[in-house]
Amino acid sequence: MHVMRELLDKQIVDREEEPVGRVDGIVAELRAGQPPRIVQFEVGFVPMARRIHRGLEGWSEKWHKRFGIRRSARYHIAWDDVIEENVHHIKVDVTAEETVAYDWERWLRRHVIGRIPGATREE
Amino acid sequence: MKKGLQLALGILTAIGGFFDIGNLVTAAQAGATFRFQLLWPLLLGTIIVIFLVEMSGRFAAMSGKTIPEAVREHFGVRFWAVPFVVLVLLHLLTLAAEIGGIAFAMQLVTGIAFQAWVLPIGILIWLFLWRATFSAIEYSTASLGLVTLCFVVAAVMLHPPRADVLSGMLPSLPTDDAAKYWLYAVSIVGALIAPYLFYFYSSGAVEDEWDRTYVGVNRAVAVMGMSFGAVITAGLIVAAAMVLHPRHIGVESINQVAFVLTDTFPAWGFTLFAVSMAIACLGAALEVALSLAYTVSQTFGWRWGEDLEPAKDARFAMAYTCGVLLASLVMLLGLDPLKLTIYTMALNAMMLPVVSVPFLLLMNDGRIMHDRRNGPISNTAAALIVVLSFVLFVVSIPLVMLGS
Repeated sequence: MHVMRELLDKQIVDREEEPVGRVDGIVAELRAGQPPRIVQFEVGFVPMARRIHRGLEGWSEKWHKRFGIRRSARYHIAWDDVIEENVHHIKVDVTAEETVAYDWERWLRRHVIGRIPGATREE
Repeated sequence: MKKGLQLALGILTAIGGFFDIGNLVTAAQAGATFRFQLLWPLLLGTIIVIFLVEMSGRFAAMSGKTIPEAVREHFGVRFWAVPFVVLVLLHLLTLAAEIGGIAFAMQLVTGIAFQAWVLPIGILIWLFLWRATFSAIEYSTASLGLVTLCFVVAAVMLHPPRADVLSGMLPSLPTDDAAKYWLYAVSIVGALIAPYLFYFYSSGAVEDEWDRTYVGVNRAVAVMGMSFGAVITAGLIVAAAMVLHPRHIGVESINQVAFVLTDTFPAWGFTLFAVSMAIACLGAALEVALSLAYTVSQTFGWRWGEDLEPAKDARFAMAYTCGVLLASLVMLLGLDPLKLTIYTMALNAMMLPVVSVPFLLLMNDGRIMHDRRNGPISNTAAALIVVLSFVLFVVSIPLVMLGS
């Protein structure tokens, strides 16, 4: 349990060290006579809301369904994808930009921010 | 050489970031109503702010992390959720007050009602954030902010009684209107220790890629920058005491503060005041808006940075865009910027325990700070700050109710 507390809320970065999000939830497998084994991390507002308050989870799930920008409310990263874990971050073998965690980022870029002149600066 | 230059620029920035609508209003009211008697909360607040700024810079240099991200990581989202929401609201109120300050300065110069200026100013702030890099914002507002030294010049030229000024540096009890006295005292401290200052400073240190070699530079910036900022604020208290108090001007509106410079600079004192207020508030507004976007992005672990082009961190850009828009709308509701400022500053003071306690615990975490953990002096200061922060937490709301 101590390990889980250490991992929760930590910054997750991709293989290029770009931020993916934070460890908003952990899915663990309970094993008879052995300590639980971490199977995957969850990234998203809904798993985070569940840890704050049950009611908030239901509300944020509704919000997710209504807007539906993200492909799924919970983005799962398998423990097997972890490349490195240190005091600063957890590095995982994904490309942040392609993940569900970046759905909002890409949507805002395409529909709002990217449409305003000057969103990209010329060097 | 590079560090020397950064030291100079850092001190400039610290002065620029220190003086804003909160300091301006609270200092002017304190001087006008209680003469030099409320110099001591300024002194006390400055000592606190030096320690907290030094610690937030040292923390960023040693860990590569800012305060919001470290608090969420170490204390968990359950702990951080409520303070986070309150801090976001506090950022919005502070930003609204700064926008109100610039709008009022424009009204002073042009005579056009300040409401008309709110949206153009909101757009101007947003344009700065949208186009400029972190260093451009840091250094332009910092160097322009030097104009606020006019308050120090005025204070010196008004020849205040030295003994009275010095005795004001020592805590004293009010002779009359105790509720107002303590409200102003708390608001002065609240204006100094606004959370955005530390969040902005620590995020700036990460943006500038500080490492452990910056611990010395950081200390010098914290001590000198904050002290210079305090001297400017003290200048305004003294000038207000010399000019406004004898005429029984109690600072019911920001217009009245403008008279502090007209005795010293008869021809252009009014304009100089407006320019100083506009620049100080603009610098602070940029810092508050960025601090808001930093806090939100870091809490959720998004990509963030003012040096990235907006398309690269769309959520970060969206955070400050929404922040500026909402704060402008708050100001358009027709709130009195003076009242808004006083209440926001008292709320800042109230938030100090939540901001300082977890952070001060992290400063003693050897896994993060290694050999640069808090020493006995910093920890004694930290313990005193924690005690004081709880006192402020308890007294600020009743004082706002009584004092208003």
